[in-house]
Amino acid sequence: MEFETAKEIIEALIFASDAPVTLSRIRAALEEADEELLQRVVEQLNEEYAQHGHAFEIRRVAGGFQMFTRPHLAQWVRKYHRGRARQRLSRAALEALAIIAFKQPISRAEVAAVRGVNSDGVFKNLLERNLITMAGRASTVGRPVLYKTTEHFLAYFGINSLADLPSLEEVEALLKARAPQEEGEPTVVEATMESPAPAGSNGDGEAQ
Amino acid sequence: MPYTVRLQKFEGPLELLLFLIRKNEVDIFDIPIAEITAQYLRYLDLMRYLDIDVAGEFILMAARLMHIKAQMLLPRPEALEEEVEDPRTELVLRLLEYQKYKQVAVGLAELEERQRDHYHRLQVACDGDGYAEEEWDAHEVSLYDLVAAFSVVLERTSQVTYHEIREAEASVDEQIAYILDYLHRHGEALFADLIAGLESKLVIIATFLALLELMRRGAVVVRQSAPFAEIWIYGA
Repeated sequence: MEFETAKEIIEALIFASDAPVTLSRIRAALEEADEELLQRVVEQLNEEYAQHGHAFEIRRVAGGFQMFTRPHLAQWVRKYHRGRARQRLSRAALEALAIIAFKQPISRAEVAAVRGVNSDGVFKNLLERNLITMAGRASTVGRPVLYKTTEHFLAYFGINSLADLPSLEEVEALLKARAPQEEGEPTVVEATMESPAPAGSNGDGEAQ
Repeated sequence: MPYTVRLQKFEGPLELLLFLIRKNEVDIFDIPIAEITAQYLRYLDLMRYLDIDVAGEFILMAARLMHIKAQMLLPRPEALEEEVEDPRTELVLRLLEYQKYKQVAVGLAELEERQRDHYHRLQVACDGDGYAEEEWDAHEVSLYDLVAAFSVVLERTSQVTYHEIREAEASVDEQIAYILDYLHRHGEALFADLIAGLESKLVIIATFLALLELMRRGAVVVRQSAPFAEIWIYGA
């Protein structure tokens, strides 16, 4: 089959799909497709889209290919989808996900041990959002349920595989290299008070 | 006169400790435990004063800190000094471990933010029963999802109230054949459609067991767009 024809077919499959299209799914329609062909087709399509100023591009997420609108159009698409935007994950949820991503399969207790705080509410949220799923039970005492990240986890963060996350060694090096003050600001709770705070009342200072 | 206190919300005792270490610009490998403990306890007081729920973990850590502080005050026999482990060691290791994942979480938040600017196509409307509204992120179905779907079906059929004892009308093996045949003819199947024509609870149960068996053998793939959504079955 000619390259141009294969390109058209693959484009059609990616266009018509609402989830990342994997090579094996493409093969169901186009037997001769292989990784190399797919790669070439996608590169060329993206080039054409860019040249002609199309509003979308093909990106590789969760082991497959999918069409996405270009980021600079996000503000308008977002308006159109108003009310449907998913809430960002909480810091607690992101922490738990980070731990699960690197230590999976892992039990709730192990995640709580690293975070130093009970994480059950976070697990419920992550399960509901299909970012993690159960992965059997540990053979240790009590046979706790183990959890792992899902394919949707990869798609949600726009990465192709777990290998796209920075390694823990890289993170360690970053932490060592960095000045201590640069860390992200924790969220702030506000409370209105009628009288001064007791014992040092240094809450004001800590917030800055 | 009322005034407003701005207070950082900490996800847990480890985050609070990291904050105090940073704020005091002390070395994480040589934490001045007395000073940090005092500040930690002050913060807990403040939380209580502001009626913020102080999770049990914060109290537990306070006890742990005071224990370490006490251990540090104990005189050590000189000869043994080098062999005695620093009572802070375990805590420091936990802080370092936690700090690492906290940093990964920051990276994830950035990815999340970036990905929010990329919109993909949504599911094409199927039959107007509302799921065109949903994002279609087909994912592997867990046993839990299947059992949830199954219990819905059973509830529906249990409206038939008469009872009759008879021989089982279908075996699991027969229902395996039925599912495979259905998939052969239709290519894919909605779990609900698969059992729609079946009347008796026993046959439905046999079909459900057959589906589990096929999943176990890897002969079918079962997917669903969201928790509690329709379950799709494909031939593998």
